[in-house]
Amino acid sequence: MAKSLQPIFSVSDFIAVANQTFEYAFPTVEVEGEVSSFKVNQSKFVFFDIKDSGGSIGCFMTVWQMRVPIEDGMKVIVSAVPKLTQWGKFSLTIKSIRPSGEGALKKSFELLKLKLDKEGLFEIERKRLLPRIPRHIAVISSVQAAGYADFVKILNDRWGGVKVDVAHVQVQGVGAPDQIIQAINYFNQQEILPEVVVIIRGGGSADDLSAFNDELLVRAIASSRIPTLVGVGHETDESLSDLVADVRASTPSNAAQILVPDKSEIIRAVNSQVSSLLPRILQIINQQSHDIELTLINVANLIERSIDEKIRWVTHTSNLLSQLDPNVVLNRGYALIRGSIITGSEINIETQKFIIKAEVKDVVKK
Amino acid sequence: MSSKNKSIQEKTIELNKLVEWFDSSDFTLELALDKFKQAEKLAIDIESDLSSLKNEIQVIKQKFSKEP
Repeated sequence: MAKSLQPIFSVSDFIAVANQTFEYAFPTVEVEGEVSSFKVNQSKFVFFDIKDSGGSIGCFMTVWQMRVPIEDGMKVIVSAVPKLTQWGKFSLTIKSIRPSGEGALKKSFELLKLKLDKEGLFEIERKRLLPRIPRHIAVISSVQAAGYADFVKILNDRWGGVKVDVAHVQVQGVGAPDQIIQAINYFNQQEILPEVVVIIRGGGSADDLSAFNDELLVRAIASSRIPTLVGVGHETDESLSDLVADVRASTPSNAAQILVPDKSEIIRAVNSQVSSLLPRILQIINQQSHDIELTLINVANLIERSIDEKIRWVTHTSNLLSQLDPNVVLNRGYALIRGSIITGSEINIETQKFIIKAEVKDVVKK
Repeated sequence: MSSKNKSIQEKTIELNKLVEWFDSSDFTLELALDKFKQAEKLAIDIESDLSSLKNEIQVIKQKFSKEP
């Protein structure tokens, strides 16, 4: 019998060779399928099958690698290393897993939202205020993204004098959550902390924005020492990062609007304040002129009243005096007698028209 | 502190105080014109400061591409 040229492996060698071949052919493979038989052992190890209508593969991962909630029936894409176990069972060792398709994304979003909500991560009481006019901010975004350009444009149009430290990160894809988390940690470890961390990304598909529903990222935002402002997607988009942030912006442009005041509005308000002062001075001058006018009128009235009173007194006194005038008495037919009232003496009798000399004939007491 | 060294916020506070003075019981016509001129100058300074301020944007060198 001819000797075979084929090598003869031990079982474990063959498994090792098979795994080397897999590693060479598929260092990492992405597989899409539906989750079934999902279970967690000892709160550490996750086992499930990923299947479609034509087949099924066993999968293994640790709970710490599970960044989004997974359950049976959910369509997922796994990034994994194919492996033949020492028991000869083929499986995928998962590096990362993400929901696939709108339904799975929504389901995963709702499950994680419910979980984090129960923990109180979205409570209003946790929200911190942003400084009114920050002088030093940190921005986490992709500097090549349109959303970042919008943010910078609006920021520069509205305000100046802000120190902006930008962390350039991926804002979509598998690596995005970890990069954003690292950037958050980087800013939180600085000796001089920025006053706000702004996380921004423009619009995109549900899959593009799913990075912002990553559990570890949401928790990193929640635990940031620096107040956070998150503006991801369009107005209608809602991410868990939005919900956990101290302040939510509907878009990157809106984030810039929330962050700093509009200098044009301030200039208008300042000019309007000053312009309102001159009419106010004129109003006060008019008011004071009016007051002085009223005072003068009152004084004039007082003087007039005083003069009237004097005139009345003079008239009255004059009337009284006129009554005492002897001529008036004479005019009324009385006579004025001058001389001694002694019998036989000569007296002068003055009437209105005559002065009569007469002699006193007799004097009798009344 | 000279007007030149004051921040925009300090100038805004000073302007607000001046404007409040016009409504206060301290108001006198004798001082009004002087206070108005001060307010006018502050407004010009604030507008000039705001228009000239630029943001300092710096992309940090730290790379975040590696997984933690």
